[in-house]
Amino acid sequence: MGSTKVLIVDDELIMRESLGDWLEQDGCHVEKACSGSEALDLLKNARFDIMLLDIKMEGMSGLEVLKRVKGSEPDMAIVMITAYASVSTAIEAMKNGACDYLLKPFDPSELSLLIEKIIDSQAQASENLYLREEFKEKTRFESMIGQSGPMQTIFNLIADIAPTDSTALITGETGTGKGLAAKAIHSQSPRSQGPFVSFNCGAIPEQLVESELFGHQKGAFTDARETRKGRLEMARGGTLFLDEIGEISMRMQIDLLRVLEDRVFFRVGGTQPIEADFRIIAATNKNLAEAIKARFFREDLFYRLNVISFEMPPLRRRKEDIPLLAKHFLFQFSRETNRPVRTISRDAMDEMMLYDWPGNIRELENAIERAVVIGKEKQLMPHDLPIFHPDHIQHASGDSIREMEKNHIKYILDKNQWNIAGSSKILKIDRSTLYSKIKSYKLQKPA
Amino acid sequence: MSALDEHTIIISPVGVFDPKLLAAIGPAIRRTYQTGSQMVPLLDDIDFAFDPERSQYCSTPVLTKLSATAPKWAFKVLALVEQDLFIPILTHVFGEAQLGGKAAIVSTARLYDKLSRPPDLDTFIKRTIKEILHELGHTFNLHHCRDHNCIMHYSNCIADVDRRSDQLCRYCRILLADEIKRLTQQ
Repeated sequence: MGSTKVLIVDDELIMRESLGDWLEQDGCHVEKACSGSEALDLLKNARFDIMLLDIKMEGMSGLEVLKRVKGSEPDMAIVMITAYASVSTAIEAMKNGACDYLLKPFDPSELSLLIEKIIDSQAQASENLYLREEFKEKTRFESMIGQSGPMQTIFNLIADIAPTDSTALITGETGTGKGLAAKAIHSQSPRSQGPFVSFNCGAIPEQLVESELFGHQKGAFTDARETRKGRLEMARGGTLFLDEIGEISMRMQIDLLRVLEDRVFFRVGGTQPIEADFRIIAATNKNLAEAIKARFFREDLFYRLNVISFEMPPLRRRKEDIPLLAKHFLFQFSRETNRPVRTISRDAMDEMMLYDWPGNIRELENAIERAVVIGKEKQLMPHDLPIFHPDHIQHASGDSIREMEKNHIKYILDKNQWNIAGSSKILKIDRSTLYSKIKSYKLQKPA
Repeated sequence: MSALDEHTIIISPVGVFDPKLLAAIGPAIRRTYQTGSQMVPLLDDIDFAFDPERSQYCSTPVLTKLSATAPKWAFKVLALVEQDLFIPILTHVFGEAQLGGKAAIVSTARLYDKLSRPPDLDTFIKRTIKEILHELGHTFNLHHCRDHNCIMHYSNCIADVDRRSDQLCRYCRILLADEIKRLTQQ
């Protein structure tokens, strides 16, 4: 219950004091209000996880406070308390969003269990929200794989920096596993029980980034019909992974710098400061030093992020890891797709070792996935790997991007006997997109 | 010699208690808080805290009076009473303490096994010692602890008291050391 913030609203001083003392001994941060209007004033400048709200008060009743607060603070758990037993009042309060109801004086075990239940359900809701977001992104996290010298150095580095709470900056080419490294740091850190929330700064239109990161208050802008938590708030107690940090706008750089300096932030349209209780790990494939020179990236933010930094090695500098990675992906995809490919032929492995993999591990992963889907034999053969086919290159070539795309789609369709589901999976587009491209390029199935 | 050797915690029994219990308190305090203790009767009774509507005694005014009555040299002061205690918002409490303050109180009213005949004195002493160490922990600014074995784990009922150990967990020992360091630097 370490950082649980509780607001007690009761017009009886002795009740406020005794409940406050009890909760403080439980490690809660407690604030007290003697009336509904004082509570509403407090809520303008502070956020609480739980409100213990007396129903029967002079002036504004507890039910009135409940109705007003629920609109702007839907996530706050409100427990109604009263010295007057009234089932109808309890029902009305629950209908209006109260999470429970207690009759004064409480049995200590009843109050203790209730607080514990609320904290657990809030943690669960936060985790669910994050999981839903993560599922949307279809992020696939794997344990980091590598026996090579460069990877052993990375593993040692991660073990050293994980226990600290310092901000870390991971650099490296696209597809080198920067996200996996961030996840590995999180999982070995004291924040491992908290959420790992990732945010791709380059994947979201600039105008939406602010709301995605900071959340927004109901009514903050036209589409803000509900108060919504941002990634910063979802990462409470855990790690916030900012991928492609080099893509973030100057305006957002200023906002992020403020969070790192002040350790508090505000929802868009919000006036209450929210504590920044997370570790930041940022990643980029850009040369930030050059971006600073070109004035695309703030130097002060760079130094805030660059407390600890390391570079993920490209796959061409750790080729000895290719067999291990390839076998790992083969096992994974053959199990997922229930395809017969079980091993990799020596020739296919030789070709993979000769190739430089400019797209790094992600390219290797995609190549194996494709090979597993189209492979007909128990062994993965060189011709299952598209990157090594001169005829493929010939087919895919053309004078314009449009022509190249048309030829490539036709090549994949022909190769897969015009199986739309299989082809769309290889092309990594959905079936409806593939159908529309077939129509637009006037492609026809061979007779 | 610990940083707190020159400090003394006063235990103030209100009423008559088994000498075996009183003799066990000092060593337990020394073991947990590395400080000495003395038995000093400070209050004749706690009738001033009686609430006729609830037929119980409110612990909060007792703490206020204890703080005011305690001699200046007292580092902490704990009243041991037989009466059933409450704080206004709760039906009952085993004890109460001023968080990071001077005074604490423990009631033995709910620490007996009502069905045990004759009363099991050893179990009763163990429970009372645990409650004394727990409430004194609050005066050292220790909050309730999640570790079920820690003496600072919150007890809702007598079974909870029996379940936890009479020791601080590693985490609470570190927090206690921090607090002692802070107190001795003042």
